Parts: sequence; C-alpha cells; structure tokens
Amino acid sequence: MKIAIENLTKKFGAVYGVNDLNLDINDGEFVAFLGPSGCGKTTTLLTVAGIYKPTSGTIRFGDHIVNTTQPRDRNIGMVFQSYALYPHMTVFENIAYPLKLKGVSRQEQHKHVQQVASTMGIGELLERRPGQLSGGQQQRVALGRALVKEPDVLLFDEPLSNLDARLRLTMRGEIKQLQNRLGITSIYVTHDQVEALTMADRIAVMSKGHLQAFDTPEDLYDRPKTLFIAEFIGNPPMNFATAEIGGIDGKLTMQIGALTLDLPPKYAGKVGRGQVTLGVRPEDITLVETGGVEGSVFVVEPLGREDMLDVRIGDQSFLMLADPELRIKAGNTVRIQFDMDELQFFDLQTEKSLLWQ
Amino acid sequence: MTTAALSQPVIPPDDSISNLSTILRALRSGVIVVLALGLLAALFQAVLSPIIASTGVEENVTTVLANALISLLPVFAYLACGSSARAAAPRSFMRAVIAALIAASLLFVGITAIESGLHLGAFQPRQSLQFTISQSDDGVLVDSVEAGGAADQAGILPGDLITGIRRDPVTLESLQKTIATSNIDDPLRLRIIRDGEETQLTARVGEGTSFEMSTLINSYVIALAAATAAVFFPRSWVAYILLILSLAPMLIGYAWLLIATFSVRTQGLLPIDAQGNVGGITLQNWRFLVDPLGSNQSVWTITLNTLIVAVAMTIMVILVASMAGYALSRMNFFGRRTFLSFTLILHGFPAVTLLISIFFVLNFIGKIPILGDIFGYNTLGGVALVMVAFELPLGIWLMKGFFDGISWDMERSALIDGATRWRAFWEIILPQIRPGILALGIFAFISGWNAYLIPQTFSIGTRTATLSVFLRQFIGDTAPTDWNQVAAVGIFQLIPILVLFLFAQEYLLNIYAGGLKGSS
Repeated sequence: MKIAIENLTKKFGAVYGVNDLNLDINDGEFVAFLGPSGCGKTTTLLTVAGIYKPTSGTIRFGDHIVNTTQPRDRNIGMVFQSYALYPHMTVFENIAYPLKLKGVSRQEQHKHVQQVASTMGIGELLERRPGQLSGGQQQRVALGRALVKEPDVLLFDEPLSNLDARLRLTMRGEIKQLQNRLGITSIYVTHDQVEALTMADRIAVMSKGHLQAFDTPEDLYDRPKTLFIAEFIGNPPMNFATAEIGGIDGKLTMQIGALTLDLPPKYAGKVGRGQVTLGVRPEDITLVETGGVEGSVFVVEPLGREDMLDVRIGDQSFLMLADPELRIKAGNTVRIQFDMDELQFFDLQTEKSLLWQ
Repeated sequence: MTTAALSQPVIPPDDSISNLSTILRALRSGVIVVLALGLLAALFQAVLSPIIASTGVEENVTTVLANALISLLPVFAYLACGSSARAAAPRSFMRAVIAALIAASLLFVGITAIESGLHLGAFQPRQSLQFTISQSDDGVLVDSVEAGGAADQAGILPGDLITGIRRDPVTLESLQKTIATSNIDDPLRLRIIRDGEETQLTARVGEGTSFEMSTLINSYVIALAAATAAVFFPRSWVAYILLILSLAPMLIGYAWLLIATFSVRTQGLLPIDAQGNVGGITLQNWRFLVDPLGSNQSVWTITLNTLIVAVAMTIMVILVASMAGYALSRMNFFGRRTFLSFTLILHGFPAVTLLISIFFVLNFIGKIPILGDIFGYNTLGGVALVMVAFELPLGIWLMKGFFDGISWDMERSALIDGATRWRAFWEIILPQIRPGILALGIFAFISGWNAYLIPQTFSIGTRTATLSVFLRQFIGDTAPTDWNQVAAVGIFQLIPILVLFLFAQEYLLNIYAGGLKGSS
C-alpha cells in the first residue's frame, strides 16, 4: 500500500504538531520517522492511523484519501511503546480481538492466532494474561495482534523503548526481518538514530513539526544536505569548525584559526571562497606518527572498543576515536590527520550543504 | 599499645557503679513520669477545670480526668521505673529486678512525702466526726471524743449510745459508711441515748487528718508489684496495650448496642430486668420483625423500599458517573472545565439548603403523567433521583480519576484493532476500572441505604418510608424513647451494610490505592 502525505498540518489549539509535511512512502517500504521528543513524529503517525484528524492537507492510502476514514476502516496494525495490551484478556484473546471485531468465525480466529503466535514464538503463552509476561514477550504479543488481521500498513510507535538494551537488539533484527518477509508498508517512529539507521529503507528526519530530510540512511550519513542532519545523525556527533577557504592558482586552502590545510581539488567550484562551516566525522580523524597537526588531548572517554578523545588544536575542539591499546591520557600531545576526502562544508548563513543539493 | 593489649576482652564495668547507675536511671524515669503526669493533672485541675466549670457544666470531665491521673500517677511512675531498669540492665533480670525494687522504694518515699504535703493518697482528709466508736448491743457506743472536734462541738460525750440517724437505726458499719459518704459540713441528726434518755443532737461532719497505715502499706505493695511486673513485661506489647485501651470505648459502644437489643434495660454493659437485678434477657426489642408496631407497614415492606431506593440509586449513579467521567476524561468540549468546577462546588453544597427548591421540582415532576408516578413527590423513584443528584459529583470525579489513569494507547489500540468508540469504552476501558465502579457502587448503595434527610423530607406517610425514617418513629417527641428498641432497629439496618463490607472491603481499599495498577 502506497502512502502519500501531502501538505499535512495538524494544530493543537495554536500549537503546530506537524507543519506542512510532504512524504511519499512506497509500497512495502520501511520508513522511519526520526527526531527529538516533540518534533511531531508521533503526531504524524497518529494522523496516519486516523486517531487524529488533519487540520489541513491530505493523506492517501493508495489512491484513496483517508482523511475522514475511521481508524477501524483503514486496515492498519499498530504497535505502541506501552504495548497497550488489554490486561483483562488472555494473550489469545488479545491477539484474536481484531479478528473478533471483524466478525471472523471462532475456528478461523483460532487458526490465525495459532499461526501468528508460532511466527512470533509465543505459542505456549496463549492462556496467560499480559501481566504474567516479560516486556519482550508483551512486545511480541503486541506485534502479533498488529499482524493478525494482515494489515496493509504497520505502524510502530517507539516499540523498543521500554526494552532493555540486549532485547532491543534482538527485536530490532526480528522486526526488520519480519517486515522484509511480509512486505507490509511500515512506518516506524523512533528517537534512536541507531534503530532508524539499521532498520529503515528511508528515514524522515523531523524537527519542530517540519520535515528536515527524507533519504536513505547512507545518504543521510555520508551526504547530509543540511547542518541539522549532519549534526543530528551520527554518534559521536560530527565535529564542526568555522573555516576560511582561500588559495591561489586553483590550489585550495582552508584556514581554521592558526591552522592552514590544503584541500583536494575535488572541492573546487563547490565551496567558493570565504567563511564556511567545516564538518568532519570523528572516524575521519586519525592519529599519525609523523606529519598531520599537533594537538593536545583534553579529555579521554573510554567506550570499550574505542576511546573517544577530545583533541584541542588552538581553541578548536575535535572529537575522534582511538585504539585503547595506545593508552592515551588527558594532557598528552598527539598528531592527528583529517581524511581530506570526507569533509563536509556548509554555508554559514543558510546552513545548507555546499557539496550535496 | 601492643597487640596483646588490644586483643584483651573489654574490661566489664565495675558492678557497684553499674548497679547504682541502673537504679538512678530507673529512678529518673519514675521522677519524670511523676512530674509529667503531675503537671498534666495540675493543668486539668487548675486551668481547664475552672474554664469548663464556668460554662455551666456541673460535673466536668477534666476534674474526673485529673482525679484519675492523680490516683494512677504512682502506678505509672513505678511501671516506668521497672521498664527503665530493664532497659538499663538488659542482660541480667536479677539485677534489673533489684534495681527496680530499690528505685521503686526510693520513689515511694518521695511520693509519700509529696502526698503528705498535699494531703493526698493515704493522707487524704476523711470525713469524720472526730470520735471513736464501737458496736454495742443496743447501738453504737461512743468511746472517746476529740476535744474541739465535730462530736465535741455537737455536745456528744463519751458513753453516749447512738441508736439512729433520724429515723433509721444504725450499726457501727452503717454509721461509718454514712459519715464517710457525707460531705464536709453536712448536718447529721443523731438519735442518742444518754443516761437512759433519748435526745437528738446535730453534728456537722468535719475533717479528720489522720492517715491510714493500711492505705500506705497497700500502695507500697502496689509499688513493688508494678515495678517488678514492668521488668518482666515485654516492651513490644506496650504499643498493643495502648492501642487496645484507646480502641476500647468504641468496642464497648458496639458491645452495648448488641447487648441492649436483647435486654429490658441495661446498666453499663449488664442487662437488667425491671427490678434492677441482673437478667432480663428478652427478644421483645426484635418484635418489630413480625409486628408492625403501630405503623401500618411491616418492616419487610419498609426494608424492600430501602432496598429499591439504594439499588436504583446505585445503578443510576454508576451509569451516569461512568459515562460522564469518561467524557470529562477523554473528550474536549465546550465548557468542560467549567462543568468540572461546578460539579465540585455542588459536591460541597449542603443538601439541606436545597430541600425546598427540590420539593418544587419533584412536585412539578409529579404532575407529569406516568413519569410523575415514578419520580414525583412522595415516590421512591423521586427520593432515589434526588439522592443520585447529590451523589453524582463525587461519583463523576472519582470515575474521571480512574479513566485518567488508563493510558490513551490502550484505547487507540482498540480503535485501530477495529472497535468503535462505544465498543472500545465498553469492552476495553470499562473492564480496566471495574474496581472503581464496584467501589463507587458500594458507596452509592451505602449512602442510599442509610439516607435519612431526603427520604424523611420527600416521602410522607409510611407507604414509601425507608428504614431510617422507620427508625426515627421510635425516637418519640412526646413519649419516652425505648433506646433498646432503637438499638435493635439500628442493628437490623446495619446488617446488610456489614455483609456488604465483608465481601467488598478489598474493592473499597482499591479506591484509596488510586485505581488499578495495569499490567501494561
């Protein structure tokens, strides 16, 4: 089922929940809505579900405008952060509830529930009540309930936030694999960029009710179109510095404070001259024995597999990653080198990328 | 310091010093109790008592309390002594007992000194005619007379034979009792045979200052016993005993209520018969169960009336409150906040102020055909309707609170699963607040069952009377009230409520726990 969201606006009183949102979701696509709390991603999801009515704009399922269609007539399945299981019903009754409302016969209900339960690996829990299940099991029941009526669209509202880190990792893979196999168009709301990056075909980044970008995870990470995207995607976050682009005879140079670096010719014609915002990801900065730039280590944060260093060059700070085996301590002097092919440049005023449009 | 010195056991404190300190600590506790209770008694006696007396109450409770405090004060002090000795010497019972006994003895000396100074206890002034008397064959023989005493002033001489007070003949015992129970300065007209002639002399009762050795000995024995008992008494029981003591008045009240229903009369908790002897157990008070007792309705009809009112009220309150509470919790509509605040104001509105206006409303309803026969003035339906109105504010707020506690997600989930709003409310939301509905239902039932003011006002005559109104008949304005009868009817009215509580207490507790703890 294709979903088209056109000029969608949802206001609560004078407050904009979503402001003029345009989004096309292809049939069978897995789309993540990513953004900080209060950015309008859940509002958009609930509007797609039909719980909220749009203030203006249209939502299409296939060719039908569903603006005023009741949630029960949209044939959607939804999984909530709180699981929203019905505590007074058994697992079986929970999963069978959508079928019961559809008027499916008892035998059919039984068959479908059994099938879904065995897919979800909860076949032996059917007689229990939600209160007797662990968080992971409850989430599986919720997923089963959303899947049992074979929906055209699956909606996820931060479904993994209440699980512990390890279970989250397993469930992430399971949901992705399930969606892939069933080919159901899915919208997945999350504030966790790792979830979005690993699961989604495309990510819609939202902020303050506006759509900031709608791209594949690779594009968002490697070719950020705005400063906001570059800042928001990636952990540890991208380093930013104000740089002065200069040079003569087609040879480009970049000056950061007292530091001057040569730029490869591939940036010529794109970055122009004058002040820009330079962006460089922590993993594109490496330690070198000789050459490079000298800096002093300000803070060392061990992350386990790597140490995160805060290296100061002049009064400019750069986050980078280093092998813990090197046992670098705060106060040490190190030489660092930028991967000059992976730099990002943004306009100082418009905050748009100078490289990707 | 060497390691050898460190490893040596701690030197036990010198026994005599530790004994002394135990005694001193025990004594200190006793003294503190004496001072505290003494001050309290003085406060009652000197400050509160005059204030209360000035309001015109004759026998006031503070005097009684002060007297009780003073007479019990030494006992409490000795108990504190013993308890404190136990705490000071926790490992040795023997030492604690000895310390307690010594401390109690010292305290006894102190208290006795204070008593002699304040003329209390054994030194309490006693009513006396200040003569010595003995029993003889014909009457009471005066052996000696204290010079200047009451008997002397009255002109009584040694050798007089007292035969009676006024017309009543006396013995030694009855004379002593009469003197002891009269007040100071009361005149006693004594019939006396002196030298074979009968005369009458009036003696005014005076105050004897002599102290009684037996009283002193008794209190010393009490002191030692109390101190020893306190040593052995488990401290953890103290809390229970205090709780039981403070609960006792209530329990005694209930006990009386029950006993009274089976008695002709009661004296304290004892059933007595018309002559004042213990006995007089009767079922007469319960005859209202079979006999209409002057009212032209049997009690069973009236009970049925009460049941109809209570059940009708419960159903209406649950229906309206749950739906209104849901709307107020979940829907946004014009005037929602105003409505909520007005409901709250209504809850605080005294029902009495609205009685007259409600009468007009019910009277108006009564003129409508059909509807008027069910909900008009002087119908059970009308009474139930009015009480529903008074119960609703509380019910609506309660229900709103319960609905507020249910996550939106569950309802959204139901809608997405394919339910209509109504079906989601009925099948998903309502089951979540079942404890709240049950609790509200029980509240509504109890207030309907016990209601008095509204039924009394809006149902005249006995056709529509409820139990409370029926009970009121027994408290006569002109004839003396048979309180045992009232107690019986009261208990009869109480039984269903007790049964209800027995089965529903778990749900009632729920209301205070703030609704259900969902499993989601």
